[in-house]
Amino acid sequence: MVETGQAAAAVAMQTFERIHPVEFQRRFLGQNTRHTGREFNQFRALKVIKGAISTAQGSATVRLGNTTVVCGIKAEVCEPDVKRPTAGYLTTNVELSPMCSARFRAGAPSDEAQVASEHIYRLSMHLLDLTSLCIESGKAAWSLSADIVCLKHDGNVVDAAVIALVAAIEDLRLPRAEFDSATGVVSADKEALGHVDVKKRLFPATFVLVDDLCVVADADDAEEQMATASLLVVMDGEGKLVNLWKRGAGVISREAVEQCVERARERMSEIAKVLD
Amino acid sequence: MSLNITDRRRINGPQRSVEPVYTTTSPVDAFAAGGRMDGRALDQVRPIFIKTGPLDAQSLSAAAPSGSAYYEQGKIRVSCAVYGPRQGRKSSNNARMGTFDCDFKYAPFSCSWKRSHVKTSDEKEIALMLEQAVAPAIRLDAYPKASVDAFVTVIESDGKAATIAAAINCISAALADAGIELYDSVAACSMSLHSEQWVSDCSQIEENASSCSLLVARMPSADEVTYLLQHGKTTPEQTQQAIQTCANDCTRVYAVICRYLQATLE
Repeated sequence: MVETGQAAAAVAMQTFERIHPVEFQRRFLGQNTRHTGREFNQFRALKVIKGAISTAQGSATVRLGNTTVVCGIKAEVCEPDVKRPTAGYLTTNVELSPMCSARFRAGAPSDEAQVASEHIYRLSMHLLDLTSLCIESGKAAWSLSADIVCLKHDGNVVDAAVIALVAAIEDLRLPRAEFDSATGVVSADKEALGHVDVKKRLFPATFVLVDDLCVVADADDAEEQMATASLLVVMDGEGKLVNLWKRGAGVISREAVEQCVERARERMSEIAKVLD
Repeated sequence: MSLNITDRRRINGPQRSVEPVYTTTSPVDAFAAGGRMDGRALDQVRPIFIKTGPLDAQSLSAAAPSGSAYYEQGKIRVSCAVYGPRQGRKSSNNARMGTFDCDFKYAPFSCSWKRSHVKTSDEKEIALMLEQAVAPAIRLDAYPKASVDAFVTVIESDGKAATIAAAINCISAALADAGIELYDSVAACSMSLHSEQWVSDCSQIEENASSCSLLVARMPSADEVTYLLQHGKTTPEQTQQAIQTCANDCTRVYAVICRYLQATLE
């Protein structure tokens, strides 16, 4: 009898969540708790698997709670830009396919994917010294294309994507390459693989203002749906701020921002522990 | 080589980039040692790993798929999400029947060369193949005016025909996970012909060395073939023999899928 009572309560709760998602969340937030039982400043469990994909030169799979992204890096050779003859390329793209959430359509990337790609591309400038990708000045350089494919979208894809990118770059192994000036051909030795020096590791932490009420760390999809503002804090390994990005019309107080930055600094060592 | 067409919606790399010339790659003969490189028997399929529901939401999010599956076969990794039955987007000609649509995408890093972000014609062709292979198993008459959509992403591929077969198996598992009414699960297997001998479930290296490939998708308990595709030259007898061997392999793959699905119910 007790069991059927509990089962009925669970069904009633699920129905309530489906029909009134906003009210459902408010009931929890009103009592200073979250619907998943997490603390306001608590992040979900992070899992990183480096180098599982053999077709990519570097790869990483990141799980942040239910959110799952895969980053794979393909390395090709190109002619450097005339203005920067010793620099290679690193391009980053985020794919949010309809597989990861019903909100996305097949075909051209959605606005969310474009914004994420652009922002992560700008962050990636801190990650690598592009001149380390040079093979022969003005003649040949490596072009790395890092593609971050989202398999499951349950909120906070940007954090997962940045962590996946950092892990994939650390996993990246490039063959030793030589430029033959007579033929203009770049030959590479698959047996002699080398790491690329990471200039700065990036440690992201996203906070979301839910329903103009409270700031929560690492929002899941349900919380993100009723977010009015979000704040991304990116730290380098030394606790210095690399990037601060506040989006949305909701107001986050200066004190709250300071608290977020403080929490992001703690988060830095949490992520570093998983990455090593 | 990839000619990167400037895409306003994506971050673009250099106009033109190529793979370097690898000096140490000696041409590998997949069957040089008399047997297969990974020591498999000729009719042996690579080890399979299935997990259903990895993409399903823990909480009742409306955006989460109704069913999903992750499938590994050797190095091949495929992920699939199934939505539906949901309201059909296009007005269907035959409103008494539901529709089944499939979308297939290789991740840009999933092949030995760099894939384009934009969907290529071979991906469209494979999507159509998957649709035709799996649709006969679905009770579409049970879902009038509704549509069932499957989205497949290949994370890593190893052998083209084997990857398509893996995608079919992955969709079958995801459909079952979504609770879509099925006549039977479709199981698929591929083969390649190498010096007058059929070899099951070929990797990319083995496939490169072969002259002909065959893909069979079938519903084993009904003993019906839903899709059959052969590329290359054989005699009718050879094809007959291959279909029989492939059918046996399908039954084995089917047993693995069914055993997994039964275990999830317990």
